[in-house]
Amino acid sequence: MTKGVKLLIGAVIVIFAAAVVFAIIGSKPSDSTWVDIVQNNKIIYHLDLSEEKDRTFKIDYPDGGWNEVQIKDGHISIIDADCPDHTCIKTGELRSENIPIVCLPHKLVIRFSDEGAGE
Amino acid sequence: MIKKMFALSTVLSGILLISGCSQKKEASDINMTSQTRDVFAMDTFMNMKAYGQNADIALSEAEKRILQLEEELSVTNETSDIWKIDHSDGKLVEVSDDTAIIINKAIEMGDRTGGALDITLYPVLKEWGFTTGDHKIPGEQTLKRLLENVDYSKVNIDGDTVSLPEDVEIDLGALAKGYTGDEIMKSMAGNGISSAIVSLGGNVQALGTKPDGSNWKVAVRDPFAPDTDMCIIEIADKAVITSGNYERYFTADDGSVYWHILDPADGYPADNGLVSVTVIGDCGLDCDALSTALFVAGYDGARKLLKSDPSFDLILVSDDHRIYYTEGIADCFTNISSMEAEVISLD
Repeated sequence: MTKGVKLLIGAVIVIFAAAVVFAIIGSKPSDSTWVDIVQNNKIIYHLDLSEEKDRTFKIDYPDGGWNEVQIKDGHISIIDADCPDHTCIKTGELRSENIPIVCLPHKLVIRFSDEGAGE
Repeated sequence: MIKKMFALSTVLSGILLISGCSQKKEASDINMTSQTRDVFAMDTFMNMKAYGQNADIALSEAEKRILQLEEELSVTNETSDIWKIDHSDGKLVEVSDDTAIIINKAIEMGDRTGGALDITLYPVLKEWGFTTGDHKIPGEQTLKRLLENVDYSKVNIDGDTVSLPEDVEIDLGALAKGYTGDEIMKSMAGNGISSAIVSLGGNVQALGTKPDGSNWKVAVRDPFAPDTDMCIIEIADKAVITSGNYERYFTADDGSVYWHILDPADGYPADNGLVSVTVIGDCGLDCDALSTALFVAGYDGARKLLKSDPSFDLILVSDDHRIYYTEGIADCFTNISSMEAEVISLD
């Protein structure tokens, strides 16, 4: 057996095993870096976190209220808000496709985008 | 040559990746577009996704139905059925068919679980502050006095007419979202949708399969790390409903943690060995009621009910970090946590 063939067999085994694991476990947590910031069903930001610079910005809710969003090292979170429960802040960084960051009073949702996220 | 074979093997592995499901539908179905809709109702975040040409109309109809149910079932809205019942001073109250169906189910599930589900716990829940977020530990005497009026068998229902003794109050929070899931599925199907999935505050219900014929993958949260997933199950046409102690809780000054699922027996947070109960079945209403009841009933209570009614599946997490699941989902259950998982033995 030549070195090349051995290498090939090795590579096939590795890729096959990776495929099996992927097929079983699925795509959670998300590999996607695309996120949507959605306010009452309207996408107000569509961002690729891998490209975004570190920054914070405020999102105003038309009926009153605000949330402060932070992008840092390719991760997104809500770090401050004037809502009473602060559930959005407690959620921390967005990590899972299944668990979006939600601010109920301000109808604000941050979640991984379908684009590039796969299912 | 080697490069070519490598490329071929990559392609083959890729095919394996996308063919993880058993059956395939026509190509036209696979290319079906989806629409999503967020709904902020019933004090929770709801997200719906529907596939097909009629998706937008179906989502709007489903949203209308959710808002209608919220109006009927809300415990705080003064025009709701529940508010009218709770402020009826013992008089008869006419309610909607929806409310009557849920109350009848609540009584049935109370009977089947030895009172582990009790919709008359509402005054106790209020005393703990779980309804307002203004949490406090009730005094012994207060709890004792309130518990005297906790008894779901005091709820009288005849057709669409309900009456309660004075001082008894109900709340359908343990069942409302499950019923809402069922009604969304009905509404979607009525609008020609054959593939849809909804999450109502973490409770998932699916209509049919994904458009490509494969099962939906639903994640269940790790109760010990609620921002991560514990397991994935694959479902079609089912509801997956979880009651967990991590959903609503507060930490008292002494460091003790108190959660919102109360034991009707003593009015304290139910502490019978389980920290999370997921019920998987055809009917969202049944699953929702059972997830709360079995959280209270504990492992033995859950096992007992399973023996008498094997029509649903369970994923239980105990306070000593173990996962127990039913044989029925063994083929579609993937544990992605560090906890040990074992099948519930019914022998």
